[in-house]
Amino acid sequence: MDPSPSNAAAATAAGMEPELDNSKPAAAGNRKHLAMLERLSKRSATTSVASPEASPVSAFLSRFAAGKVAAESALSACRSSPDDAPASLAAAASAIDDLERLAAEASHSLPPYELRSALASVSDLRAAHKLAASEIRPKKSFSFRNKSKATKTPQQDPPTLPQPPTEQPKPTFDAVLPGFAFRSRNGATLVKDLRIANEKDGDFTLADLVSCEVYLKGKCRALYIHKLRDCRLFVGPVFGSVLIEDVERCTFVMAAHQIRIHEARATDFYLRVRSRPIIEDCCGVRFAPHALKYEGIEKDLRDSGLEEDTGNWANVDDFKWLRAVQSPNWSLIPEEERLQTVDISEVQAREDSS
Amino acid sequence: MGLLSIIRKIKRKEKEMRILMVGLDNSGKTTIVLKINGEDTSVISPTLGFNIKTIQYQKYSLNIWDVGGQKTIRSYWRNYFEQTDGLVWVVDSSDVRRLDDCRAELHNLLKEERLAGASLLVFANKQDIQGALKPAEIAKVLNLAAMDKDRHWKIVGCSAYTGDGLLQGFDWLVQDVASRIYVLD
Repeated sequence: MDPSPSNAAAATAAGMEPELDNSKPAAAGNRKHLAMLERLSKRSATTSVASPEASPVSAFLSRFAAGKVAAESALSACRSSPDDAPASLAAAASAIDDLERLAAEASHSLPPYELRSALASVSDLRAAHKLAASEIRPKKSFSFRNKSKATKTPQQDPPTLPQPPTEQPKPTFDAVLPGFAFRSRNGATLVKDLRIANEKDGDFTLADLVSCEVYLKGKCRALYIHKLRDCRLFVGPVFGSVLIEDVERCTFVMAAHQIRIHEARATDFYLRVRSRPIIEDCCGVRFAPHALKYEGIEKDLRDSGLEEDTGNWANVDDFKWLRAVQSPNWSLIPEEERLQTVDISEVQAREDSS
Repeated sequence: MGLLSIIRKIKRKEKEMRILMVGLDNSGKTTIVLKINGEDTSVISPTLGFNIKTIQYQKYSLNIWDVGGQKTIRSYWRNYFEQTDGLVWVVDSSDVRRLDDCRAELHNLLKEERLAGASLLVFANKQDIQGALKPAEIAKVLNLAAMDKDRHWKIVGCSAYTGDGLLQGFDWLVQDVASRIYVLD
């Protein structure tokens, strides 16, 4: 369990002072109001949603456990006696609702682990309830959903309906894109020195490259990478995030605050990263520490807050593998196979960005 | 809003609001929450799951649910819809390529019945980046005008990196939610 302060209540942000005054003139009224609140909460105590702050974690847990048992027994009841199934289902649904509300109301006083496990069991129960409902009265629940959808969404449907063919308009977007980019090249060596002529922090995009070598010197604020095949990238510090999507048989050498890797296959990453890199829908990706040099990179790294190696290059989170054992989708590059530090000082700008 | 939910709000001792932050991955949700809370934003890992923050804001206590935006975990967003008073949709204004995805996910979300009453604040984040689209352009691409009739919404340009625009956005959201659910004061 992690009693991390980040989830603690309280915390007054810069520029957000709680208003303390306005309590005195209304004191009498307040007392009345408080008494009423007390009565109300007493009345609702039977339904097991009393105020969370009166009872600490253990009280919440026992109440939650009791509610969970109630929900589970209602669910099993609707399986064992099909005649009373609708009633049991409704009971189960309301018990699950109560549980969810309980968890939500206690959310700020609960440690993260308890909250997470509480929410996980709520969603498990929901799934079980849905399953039971579909077994028992598949038609009814289905038609009910249809109906409410039909009345609710006619106005929102038109904008979302033309979604499936989204692949078409994308190129037109790309065509009018501002900012710096290398796009749609084959077999080229692309070099850009971001330290020249860059008055404001910019982003950089690399898209649709095949068999290219890319050298970016200097720092940038954000880097977007999309659809690369057989490319080698050597990139200066990114003092923001890097977003990588759909790359195959590439090598990346980069330093950044955040790195997200989607749909990468057979690709090596040499990283220095302040937070944990993540992968999603990847296979055969490998990681090693950052290994890049050019004249002035120390200053660029320092200015980007990336002067020290946190070791996070090896702490990869795989969103498709949420288990304790090592994900089969990624590995570390064995030391004997790693690239030597690459010095790109001598590489001169050959291609200007478009 | 039904009578039941009015009663529920009165019952609470503190004036609480439940705010749900969602948006595609890499849009800056966690950074916004930490920035507004005055915390260090330089080491933030992509959110695996969710974070909850309780922030005192004016006379309200905001329960902010910051839910991870990676594709794999977007399907879990619906677990957080219940009792949401304010919805914050965060857009990476410099990620033009994925704006279509962004619009599709947003409209998908807004179909959800449990969010029907929630006010919508759209943060056009990363305005400090040179190539970022302006809030008006984002509003157009996301087709926000289409919901003029059935929802309170506002788009605010911001930068979680510098902090610009964040308070302006939350001011609007809190006022709008308050005027809806605390009508009895």
